[in-house]
Order: sequence, then structure tokens, then C-alpha cells
Amino acid sequence: MWLLLGVAACGGGSESTRSDDAVRLPIINDPIFNPLLAPDLGSVMVNKVLFPGLVRPDESLRPTPDLALSWEVSPDGLAYTFALRPNVRWHDGAPFTARDVKFTLDQITSATSGSRLRSDFAAVVGTDIIDSLTVRIRLEAPFAPLLTLLGYNAGMLPEHLLRGGKLTGFTAFNRSAPVGTGPFKVEKTTPGSSVTLVRNDTYYGTKPGTGRMVFKVVPDINAQVAQLRAGELDLITIEPANLGSVQGADGVRVLEVPVVQHWYVGFNAAQPMFASAAVRRALGYAVNREAIVKGVLKGYGDLPGGTIPVALRDFHDATAPRVPFAPDSAKALLAAAGWVAGADGALHDATGAPFTFELLVDKGNPTREQSALAVQQDLARIGVTATIRTMEFAALVRDRLLPGKYNATLIWWTTPPDPDQFSFYHTAQDNNNVRYSNRIADSLLSLGRATTDSARRREIYRAFQAVERDDPPVLVLFYPREIQAVGTRLRNMPKLGIRDALRHSEQFRVGK
Amino acid sequence: MLAFLLRRLGHGVLVLLLASTVTFAIMLAAPGGPSVLADPKLSTIERAEIETRLGLDQPPVVQYTRWLGHAVRGDFGASFLYQTPSLDSIASRLPQTLLLAGAALVITLVVGIPLGMLAAARRGGTLDRLVAAASGVALAVPVFWSGLMLVFVFAVWLRLLPAGGAMTEGGDATLADRLRHLLLPAVVLASAGCAEVFRYTRSAALTTLALPFMQVARARGLSAPRLLWRHALRHVLTSVITVIGLQLPRLVGGAAITETVFSWPGMGRLGVEAALGRDYPLVMAVTLVVSAGVVVASILADVVQMMIDPRVRVA
Amino acid sequence: MRRRIGVTIALVTLTFVIAMAVVGPELYHASPVTMDLATAGTGPSATHVLGTDESGRDVLARLLAGARVSLTVGLLAMLLAVTLGTLVGTVAGVTGGWVDALLMRFADTALSVPALFVVILVLTFLGPSVGTLLLAIAATSWMGTARVVRGELLVLREQPYVEAARALGVPQAMIVWRHLLPHIVPTILVAATVGVPSAILTESALSFLGLGVQPPAASWGNMLSGAQTYLTSQPLLALYPGVLILVTVLVVNVLGEALRRSRAPVSR
Repeated sequence: MWLLLGVAACGGGSESTRSDDAVRLPIINDPIFNPLLAPDLGSVMVNKVLFPGLVRPDESLRPTPDLALSWEVSPDGLAYTFALRPNVRWHDGAPFTARDVKFTLDQITSATSGSRLRSDFAAVVGTDIIDSLTVRIRLEAPFAPLLTLLGYNAGMLPEHLLRGGKLTGFTAFNRSAPVGTGPFKVEKTTPGSSVTLVRNDTYYGTKPGTGRMVFKVVPDINAQVAQLRAGELDLITIEPANLGSVQGADGVRVLEVPVVQHWYVGFNAAQPMFASAAVRRALGYAVNREAIVKGVLKGYGDLPGGTIPVALRDFHDATAPRVPFAPDSAKALLAAAGWVAGADGALHDATGAPFTFELLVDKGNPTREQSALAVQQDLARIGVTATIRTMEFAALVRDRLLPGKYNATLIWWTTPPDPDQFSFYHTAQDNNNVRYSNRIADSLLSLGRATTDSARRREIYRAFQAVERDDPPVLVLFYPREIQAVGTRLRNMPKLGIRDALRHSEQFRVGK
Repeated sequence: MLAFLLRRLGHGVLVLLLASTVTFAIMLAAPGGPSVLADPKLSTIERAEIETRLGLDQPPVVQYTRWLGHAVRGDFGASFLYQTPSLDSIASRLPQTLLLAGAALVITLVVGIPLGMLAAARRGGTLDRLVAAASGVALAVPVFWSGLMLVFVFAVWLRLLPAGGAMTEGGDATLADRLRHLLLPAVVLASAGCAEVFRYTRSAALTTLALPFMQVARARGLSAPRLLWRHALRHVLTSVITVIGLQLPRLVGGAAITETVFSWPGMGRLGVEAALGRDYPLVMAVTLVVSAGVVVASILADVVQMMIDPRVRVA
Repeated sequence: MRRRIGVTIALVTLTFVIAMAVVGPELYHASPVTMDLATAGTGPSATHVLGTDESGRDVLARLLAGARVSLTVGLLAMLLAVTLGTLVGTVAGVTGGWVDALLMRFADTALSVPALFVVILVLTFLGPSVGTLLLAIAATSWMGTARVVRGELLVLREQPYVEAARALGVPQAMIVWRHLLPHIVPTILVAATVGVPSAILTESALSFLGLGVQPPAASWGNMLSGAQTYLTSQPLLALYPGVLILVTVLVVNVLGEALRRSRAPVSR
């Protein structure tokens, strides 16, 4: 103990770490510096800073100019022509041109590059260089989400450094010496510890407000909380369960931002029990979402209508009713569908088989585990028995969800800020794990992604949300808000989820 | 001596081969598979491409022989998670692991042995009872709990020490700065081993002090400290070194929890991350490197013991 | 004298902890798994004697249920390990020759591999459950027992009465069972007192990595690990299971120490 105090004293306290002008953020693993390769959150966060895209989302999540100054869409919606920002330089000093854009798009759509963004850009058939600062992206069919996706994970890569080779093969670039065009560039990487970025003095936008940005590898959430409270981190995103440990703490304030996510219980509609729209609707009425948002999320969430969350202000139908909590209607609907209560209150069908199913939850996340328990208890009240099974997320996805070997699962989608849910809820699409199929929904989802006129698009997705009220594809539980615990020295954060906020990292400021 | 070394080395190679086969088999038999494939947003085609690229579409035996063929040539493959050679990932963590393990070992020895000797010299005294009680507690507290408590006390409330990491990131990595970061995790990692070494030293010292030659020395009027530190200590050390040898695996490979609590960039955490992410090449590489290290260390411990205590002869 | 008091206190405490696990859940009827978000995180009350946790589950009920789980894990893992260790040690010690050499090399190898890392590997790949947990802990903790049992047998089998029995043509198995094993029971008991606390601690460490006893089932380990999140807002949630682990491990260690001391008169 004296030894501890002695070394601590001669070190002079941790004030020195707090007076410099670096923003410190946590990541949970070492990043791969290539936005096309890395799906994990740590890489995504760092890459948003290093590799700007053609556009970036503003606080309403609409695409605004970034590396492209302006763009034009052809009347048939099949060609997007971008005017690139002049005088942009890569971190190594080389000029950024149309060749880099073509290179990046070609890599994204290549089957052999290792790109993880291919399905996002499946509609792209080619990219043409018009002149050194003009580029045209051609589509096989009109695809409205294109701009949003270009501002999401599709950061631009330097052709002059990555030409002629597999992206996964550029180890030095991917792990220690990436070159982007962003407001910060990599100064130093320490595997397992941190990535230190330093201000890019040739950045094309406003001068970055801080000298450095440090991403520290801190895998444990409780360690993150401790480091935030000790002033060693400036912003962490937390689960509702962690609120108690940051609320009222010195030098920490708590912010909330709606994010583009919907959390839901997905029923496997390929199984007879869940094939009927009325049954799925009934199960939805049986769950007390208000209690879950209040109890599990501590209020940090919004009550749902359909699958399009409130964060998509332009498309979420705020005037539509929320899914009601009506256990009696639920029972009536189920009775009409042939599920009647026995003497013990449990529901049985005509053959006497009970209404029971297994609810899969990934383990280790208290919010989902508690939500699952709440759903289980609510369903028990109308005579439906859900058995909760927690399993490793990877095993849940690969062994149960994808092959369709499950009854129900409590899971979530994080999507780009676009209402397009074609791949999730259109019949027989790859990500339609709930095997939802509704012909009207199919045509609306197809139409919605092909329509570029925003007023018409809004009408289409309103209609889709109306379809969802009668035939819900999933039991939407809530739209969570991202909870950010922020040290008081960090200022000027855009009011966005941390991932989108990092597209504006030049605005961050630290200090009193 | 040479024959002994060769035999131990041959034995070590067999152990490694066995360990690699078992690990590989368990890994492939496990449900779920690599987490790089667990993204529900991947399309069927993308998934198939990744499986082909990583060789996961091959039968297990082919995968294993292919892995072994590369491994004997020193190529442990690229990590699924980091897409860089597994050995690079390990090499980048090794210095920090050795630093932390080394520091913990030093604390263990510098604190455990002298306290054990003193406690034995004044058996039943205040020091003996205090340290015995403390060592009982040290052996009974889960390290993740004591670790986080220390972080809250010293970093959050007293603001005396950093809460995590190996140095101030983005700042000056001075020696003092590194030492301050090292202190808490090293103390936590050392605590249990320290308690064990203390107990063992104490009991070995008691045994030694009761030996006839010590009685004789005492009767000749040798001073108590001289007796304890010059004569008994040497005798005690030869037996304590075995206990220390047994601490090594725990310090090198078992530090995962300490490393997680203190965000320390060591091998233990790398191994846990690899296992949780089902990163086959990295799991194999970490397993083999850790086992190889332990095999070598145990050979070294035998050699050291042979040099200190000539009575120990290899059979 | 003082030492005897210490042992008595330890015995009484251990009896209390065991009683808590055995009859506790029968006497105190609140459910350890039912959550009620409306009453989450409340203090002691008539319905919840020690209050509720973050999910509104009864803390006392979880401590009692957790006592059952943790002590069971500790006992069963120890039993498995000690049985395995005794078996290996006996075979090695009685058979001798190349079997002995092989088994002991095997034990040395197992001793030299970092146990926690192996347990983590096995559990991440086979999936965490009480069964795999017991197997993994036992697989990494049998070696100590095997070594001491073998050592004692090597001495015992040269004893005159054993040689006499052998000369009389008593079958080997009978000699082992009748004449050798009874003499090493105290040794095995000592090994057992080391095994229980170490298994309890391993389970709690694994809970920290999400690989211990799986929620909603309660163990002291997963309660303590879950409570890390509420360290500043509800410190009592960490205190209860933490103190129980500490006390149980401490007490069993004290008893083990006493047992060892009664066998080796020198190292007092």
C-alpha cells in the first residue's frame, strides 16, 4: 500500500493527461484501417475519421457534401454525376482525384477484393471518370439509398497506394500506416493499446479543433466507465445498466441521441405457429413496451410504430398510432386463430398442443437479456410459454438464425440512415431471417428503393408502415437511443450517434 | 546434461503437437464458427466467398494438415480478425506480457520471500499473524473484483494512478509514466502468487530452522539475523524455486483477467479475444506460443535447480 | 489454543454456509430468477429482505440459490479432480515402470500449461454450462493430487505389511483397496480442501469473462461479476457475493491448513 502511494506521488497525479488537447475515445479491439474490409465497431469508428466519403450525414441524417461538392441524378435515376472537391490531398500529399473514386467503387463491387460492402452497392454497374474532378456512378436500376450509403461506410481509398493487389494483402496500410483524406492522420499505433491520430494540417475543411485524437483499446465496459470518470476517456457509449455509475459523477454528463436501430422479437414465419399475421399481431399486443422502455432502458428509448425508427425523421410515421398494449385483444385474436385457454390459463390449439416456443437471445448483453425476460413474463400472462435460451451471438446467427432453425429470437438491426428495408423484409431476400412475406410489402419495398423523389418516397414508406400494422414482420420492441457519457472537457459534438458524429471529427473541441 | 536437454526438447515437441491437434479439433467441433462470418447482414454469396478465402470450406483434416504444413515452416497464417500474420499480433503483445509478468514476479519474490522468512523467525508474532491473515485474503478474493476496486480507489477517487493502459496514450511515455501504469496491474497479478510464496517460504523456513545444523549453528552463538539470512535463506530458496516455477504459467497465460480489467495489451487478453472471436489461426498461434514458452521455462527451471542444488540429478 | 479457536470458528462458519445452501432456499421462498422491473434496485423490505437487484430479482433468494450452485460447482469439480488425480496417482504409483513415467510426464505437461487459458478455450468452444465448467476445471486441477498420491504409494508399497500381503498372494487390487488407499485418505482430504476454493474462484473468474454459470441462474461468481456495473450506484450488490466468496474460500483454506498441520508436525 505504501509502495502504491509512493510511486503514485512521484508520478505527480494524472493531471498531465488532462491538460493536453487530445480527444480520447474507447474502442474494443485493434482496428483495421480500411473501411471496405472491417465490419467491427472499432474499425468503423476510426475509419470514419481517416477516410471521408463523397458525402456525410448532417444532424438530420441527410447526405451533405464532403469529398463531393455537388451531384446530379439523371432523370431515369440510373446515373449519379459527382463534382469532386478540388485541391484535396491524401495524407501523403498526393492529390485526390476521380481515379480514386473509381478505384474505391470498383473495389467495393469486386467479388475478389474482400470487400464487405458489396451487397450494399449491388446496384452499381460501373464508375466512369469524366475528368479528373468529375465522376459518374452508373446503376442497373434506380437505387435511392445510394447517397446515404456513400456517406455511411464507403470511405474513399487511395488508388496510388492500393492499386494492383488484394486489399487484404496491404498489411502495412491496413494495420499501421493508412493514408486517407480525413481531418486526422495516423501518428502511431500500439497494438492492443491505442491508435493515436494527429491533426492533418492540409485538411480541406475547417481546421480540426483538437491536436490529436486517441482511440484507446478498452474492451471492458466497467473499465471504460472507470477511465471516463478518471478523466482518461472523453466519451463512452453505455448501456442503460451503466447509467447508475455515471449519473451524478463529477465531470460527466449524459447525452442521448436517437439511432437508426430497431430492436425486435423476430418470429420464424416459416413455422406454422407464426405464419398467421393475426398471431404475430396478437403477440405484439401482449407485450408491455412502455414498461420495458421505462424499466430496462430507463427511458432511453422510443415506443415503436413499425420497423422504421424515429431517427429517420423524414420517413418514420410519427402520426401513426404506437403498437398498443392490449392483452385482451391479444387473447381474442389468438382465440380467433384457434388458440384457446385451458383450465390452467395456458393456450392450446385444437389438438391440445400448447403454445410454447423457444426465444433465443445472445448472451452477455443485459439490455437484451432483461428485455427477453420481460417479453417472456408478458406472454406468460396471456398463456403463451416462451423458453429463453441464451447463446453466443456467433452461434445464434450461424447455427440457428441463418439456417432458419429457430422459433423466435430477440435481436436488432442497425441500418444506414435510409428507410430501405428491402433486404430484411422483402420475400426471400438474404437477410430476411424471419421469412416474412407479404406481397403488398414486397412491392412497396421494391418501389421505395427505386424512387428518388423524396416526397413520393415518404408516401411509399408510410404505406409500408400501414401494412406493418396489420401484418407485422417482427414484434418491434423499441427504438433505442444511444446513451453517451461525456466528460465535461469535450465540447462541440454534433448531436449524432458516435459513428456519424465521427464523420464531423474536425468540429470536436477539448478544454475548459 | 546434453542428453537430458535433448530428451526434454523432444518431449516438448510432442506436447506441442498434441496440444495443437486437440485445440484444432475442439475448435472445429464447436458451434458457431468464426465471428467474422456471424454478421447477419452478410449475403449468402459474401459468406461463401469469405469461407473460400479462409479455407473453411475444406474438410477438417485437410484444414489441419494444411495448417500444420505451414506451421512447421513458421507460418501460422493470418488472423481472421486482424487480417495480419498471427505471429505479428503475438510479437506486438509479447513485450507487454513479459513486462507485466516480470514485474509481478519481482513483487512476488521481493515481498513474498522476506515476509515468509521474517514470519518464520518470529513465529506467532504480530507480523506473522498479520501477513498470514493478509495472504489468506489475497488467496480468497477474485482478482477482477480487487482489480476494479483498486481502480476506483486509486484512479477515480484519489486520482493518484491511471485507471488503465500501459502508458498515457498520445502523451509522453516516460519511464515514470510507464511505472505508474504498471503498478496496479502488477500488484493485482502478483497478489495470489505472493501469498503462496509467502506461505511456502514460511513453512520451508520453519522446517529449516528446526534442522540439526541450524540448532548447532545457534548453539555456537551465531546471531539470529545472520542465521536467518545467511544460512537458512539459501536452504529455503532451493525448495521455493519449484513453487516459483509453478507460478510462471499463471503469470504468462493466466493474466487475461487482470489484463482485461486494466486494459493491458498482453497475450492473455489476445488469447481470450481470439477464442471468443473464433479466430482459428490466432487461437492456434497463441496456444502454441504460450505452451512453447512454458515448456522452455520449465526446462530452464530444472536447469537452474540443478545448478543451485547439486543433489538434484536427472534420472 | 488460539489455533483451536480459529478452527472452531471456521467449522461453524462453514456449517453455516453449507446450511445456507441446503436449507436456505427451502426457508426463504422468493424466486431467485423472477424479475420485476417495477421494483428493480430497491433496498431491503418485508418482501425482499436484502432488496432487489437491477432486474428486480430478490437478492437474498439469489444469494441462497447461488450458494447452492457455487458450492456444488466447488464440490463436484473437486470430487472429479480428486478422483481423477487419485486414479492416475494410484495407477502410476502401484504399476510403476513406463506407465508411471508416462502418466507423470502427462501430469507435468498439464501442470505447465496455463490452466485459466485452457479452461477459457474449452468453454468458449464447447459452450459454457455447469457440465463443461466442471469438466474444464477438473481437467486442469487433478495433477497435484496425482503427484502426492503417487509419492505416498511409492513409500507405502515398500512397507513390510504390504510385502507380506503380496507374499501371501493377496490380489493386487485387494492390496490397493484394503491396505494402500486407506492410508492416503488424509492426503486426499488435504487435496480436496485445496480444490473446493480454487474451483469457486475459477468459476467467478470465468463469470467475469461471461463463461461461468449462465444467467438467469445465480452463482456467487456471476452475481459478483454482474455487480461490477453497479459498483458505485449499488455497492451492496457486489459486497454480498464478494464477502460470501471471500469467507467460504478463507474458511476452507483455514481448515485445509489445520488438516495439513495435523499431519506434518514440523511446519507449524
